[in-house]
Amino acid sequence: MAATRRLQKELNDIRQSGLKSFRDIQVDESNILTWQGLIVPDNAPYNKGAFRIEINYPAEYPFKPPKISFKTKIYHPNIDEKGQVCLPIISAENWKPATKTDQVIQALVALVNDPEPEHPLRAELAEEFLKDRKKFSKNAEEFTKKHSEKRPSD
Amino acid sequence: MSEDSQTLTAPISLTTYHQLSLTVESANIRASGLFKPNPYLQVAVNDNVFRRTEVIKNTLHPKWKEEFTLLVTPLSNIVFRLADHHSFRKDNILGENKLNIPKVLLYFNGKIENLEVTIDLMKSVSQDNALNTEVKSAELVILLDGLKLDPATLNHPEVVGEPLTSRTPFGEGIRARVRLRNTEAPVQTQVRLPSFRPPPGPPPISNGALPFGESGAGPSRVETDTNTQSNVTPQPQSGSSTQAQTTSAGEDPLPPGWEMRYDVYGRRYYVDHNTRSTSWERPQPLPSGWEVRRDARGRVYYVDHNTRTTTWQRPDTERLARFQVWRGERRHVVAQGNQRFLYPQPQPPHPPTQDAEGGSSGAVGSASTSSASNPGAPNSAGSTAGVDDGLGALPAGWERRVQPDGRVYYVNHKNRTTQWEDPRTQGQEISALEEALPPGWEIRFTEDGTRYFVDHNTRTTTFQDPRPGAPKGPQGAYGVPRAYERSFRWKLSQFRYLCQSNALPSHIKITLSRQTLFEDSYHQIMRLPAYELRRRLYIIFRGEEGLDYGGVSREWFFLLSHEVLNPMYCLFEYANKNNYSLQINPASYVNPDHLLYFKFIGRFIAMALYHGRFIYSGFTMPFYKRMLNKKLTMKDIESIDPEFFNSLVWIKDNNIDECGLEMWFSVDFEVLGQVIHHELKPSGDKERVTEANKEQYLQLVTQWRMTRGIEEQTSAFLDGFNEVVPLEWLKYFDERELELMLCGMQEVDVDDWQRNTIYRHYTRTSKQVAWFWQFVRQMDNEKRARLLQFVTGTCRVPVGGFAELMGSNGPQRFCIEKVGKDTWLPRSHTCFNRLDLPPYKSYEQLCEKLNYAIEETEGFGQE
Repeated sequence: MAATRRLQKELNDIRQSGLKSFRDIQVDESNILTWQGLIVPDNAPYNKGAFRIEINYPAEYPFKPPKISFKTKIYHPNIDEKGQVCLPIISAENWKPATKTDQVIQALVALVNDPEPEHPLRAELAEEFLKDRKKFSKNAEEFTKKHSEKRPSD
Repeated sequence: MSEDSQTLTAPISLTTYHQLSLTVESANIRASGLFKPNPYLQVAVNDNVFRRTEVIKNTLHPKWKEEFTLLVTPLSNIVFRLADHHSFRKDNILGENKLNIPKVLLYFNGKIENLEVTIDLMKSVSQDNALNTEVKSAELVILLDGLKLDPATLNHPEVVGEPLTSRTPFGEGIRARVRLRNTEAPVQTQVRLPSFRPPPGPPPISNGALPFGESGAGPSRVETDTNTQSNVTPQPQSGSSTQAQTTSAGEDPLPPGWEMRYDVYGRRYYVDHNTRSTSWERPQPLPSGWEVRRDARGRVYYVDHNTRTTTWQRPDTERLARFQVWRGERRHVVAQGNQRFLYPQPQPPHPPTQDAEGGSSGAVGSASTSSASNPGAPNSAGSTAGVDDGLGALPAGWERRVQPDGRVYYVNHKNRTTQWEDPRTQGQEISALEEALPPGWEIRFTEDGTRYFVDHNTRTTTFQDPRPGAPKGPQGAYGVPRAYERSFRWKLSQFRYLCQSNALPSHIKITLSRQTLFEDSYHQIMRLPAYELRRRLYIIFRGEEGLDYGGVSREWFFLLSHEVLNPMYCLFEYANKNNYSLQINPASYVNPDHLLYFKFIGRFIAMALYHGRFIYSGFTMPFYKRMLNKKLTMKDIESIDPEFFNSLVWIKDNNIDECGLEMWFSVDFEVLGQVIHHELKPSGDKERVTEANKEQYLQLVTQWRMTRGIEEQTSAFLDGFNEVVPLEWLKYFDERELELMLCGMQEVDVDDWQRNTIYRHYTRTSKQVAWFWQFVRQMDNEKRARLLQFVTGTCRVPVGGFAELMGSNGPQRFCIEKVGKDTWLPRSHTCFNRLDLPPYKSYEQLCEKLNYAIEETEGFGQE
């Protein structure tokens, strides 16, 4: 498969680089077009847990960008109930075939750590985030404790 | 294919399969030991394949609420077997019983709807080494729904069987009652078999719907999957058939009867035990009112009881949404058709010839007196094959002949047409012309290729060009290379001339019913030899009075051209999500006869051009270019796949050696969940793409992107087309003109257009914007259509006006953006309906540049 070699290399590079914020990368060797991994944010209120994401690469990768979805529920203005996330770096207008998955992950981690209420997917959360940060943080923390995965110990 | 459909119209037989919905609700198990069981239920129709519910741990009162769709005949039995799951040893059976469908059908008069059935499950117990006796071990509650048969068909000895007793009408230990409907509307499940047929063509085999026993592993690469071959056949009694049925988080559960498996490479695929087929795509449950059926040859298709239609492809939400949109268009179709126009069909500029059959042409105009020198019957002239004129060989199927008077003409044996023009140079001279000839004049060439002019009015010839002011320089009033408008008219009249001079006498009758328009048309058009389709058409809609003086056939072309878009036929799809241009659907092979249909559509489209009729919706520009045998460029990809295009541009514009693209001369794409690999050249998998060879790579990728998955279909289409109208006849035109000819023009409402236009880096009051609208208002309709085509990719306006203009990502208004310098030409981005208009310094400059842009198709605006 045309995308395989590129993805194999990206996967090796990511694994070797030992990203602190993206762990436990699982790829079914038979289907390298789908990855799973844990996003481990540093900033409150998401630093109480970890969030599993799935990255789906199209067969036409890298001509077309990958798609990312959250498998763990998260209380976040830019990530909706279905786990969809709007990440500019992988949008149709901005995508470049040279963009690497580790850049995409870094952009995603940055977005999780610092929500962008100006471009919300969940308007009600964005409003809460802007108008009542305390309440938002409390809700997000509780939600994180309830739904998120355990952070890797090391 | 008609034979297949006929067999299905037979009345319901007792062996016909029907869908029956089964919901396993709950059970009560009698305690029989210290430990509570881990119960699950196995279900099978006629002992065939056991399907099972989830295991509920450690309970005597399991509740499942799991729904299955079973395929049953009126004679089926359903076996229920309750088992206790053990992790370390064999599961043991807690009890079982059989439900006899004929008895239930008979009792409820052919109707099983919302029927709650309580079943005693029995277990045989051996008592003190005596005879085994059956005791009741559990009570099971299920709900059956969705089966309704004509009671008359049940009146059959096989069904009636043993006489019923009033106490146990369903058999020992089985009780049933009709449960009251809750608020939700009952699902429409009329079973009116006779009115349903499989969709056109025999059902699909190529999408992996393989019967059991044949190689039926994954939908493709069957030859390598020998290990899984036998696995696909559901093993009777095997509880293990569901071992792979794990549902990963976030995915909806599989529809009843489906199972997820892995092939030897560990790739996921899905087995549909209902239809005994496999698929790479994860299935969605069938929408309400839909049903799976098999035709007489055992192949699967889908019936939509809501719309009383059938299709080969399993419906999903996207397909259904597209179908809804398509249906919604229907009522506008005829109204649209009446709005389209082109120039009135001109009198043939040249006298028509006799037809190639040797008969005399019926529709000969008054000018026919001067036709004495036209090509006659092919066999009346001597053959002069082998003349070397430096142009190379004639295309296959062509022959050069000479009349007794020495004049050369060309015979196209494939299409049985004749023409004066050399097919090798056809259309080439035209582009050099600036102006039409006066009426009655004709251009001819001497044997050595010198141009001369024939005046049929006076029957004289001259080398002197009769056009005033000819030859004009290449620049017109606004620097336009040639007076486009006239030349299009002129090209069109040339084309009409070719059509009329090859017309056949008499007419053909096509009789159709509106309900089966597609199939009726298909059969009648494919039955005739292609050249017959050049006879005058006489269309009759069954049950409707009226003579076809043109109106009926106009309607037929419009309706049928819309019909071929029916998403359920899977033949064409809208390119790039906008609703205007069609392209061949690479997944069309789900319709096993798709190539025949493409050939038919090719014939039909050629007929539209030949008879000067319009079709509802046009094709993509790259498709027209393919018809014209023009080279496709990277820019062509933009209109059908902007994302892909952007990536190509990026590769072109950047040094790729440093960015680790890891690209090789091979590519993949996906159709119906299956990844198709392609090497762009021999051993392409082993050749890395570098800065040095990327030009070649981009060329090869471009070629591949424009043809992948549709080559066979395109060839079939072109074959069909060429049989009716030789493709050489189109050489006069460019792709945009071809669309104009095929779709016609419509009045463009400039006020509406202006109202619904947005601006970027300009405002409504910018002087360039004012000039732009001044320019538009000065144009005639044809030019407006061309401008619209330049910016939006089509000359058509949506039914709801400019407010409903669609781009590649949904609604996208006409947009004028300030880009570049005044020395630049305007550019367009058809996927965004955007015109890049540089800030020109004067009205004249703006007119000149815009004129140039919309009239020059080749090499303009391309990288």
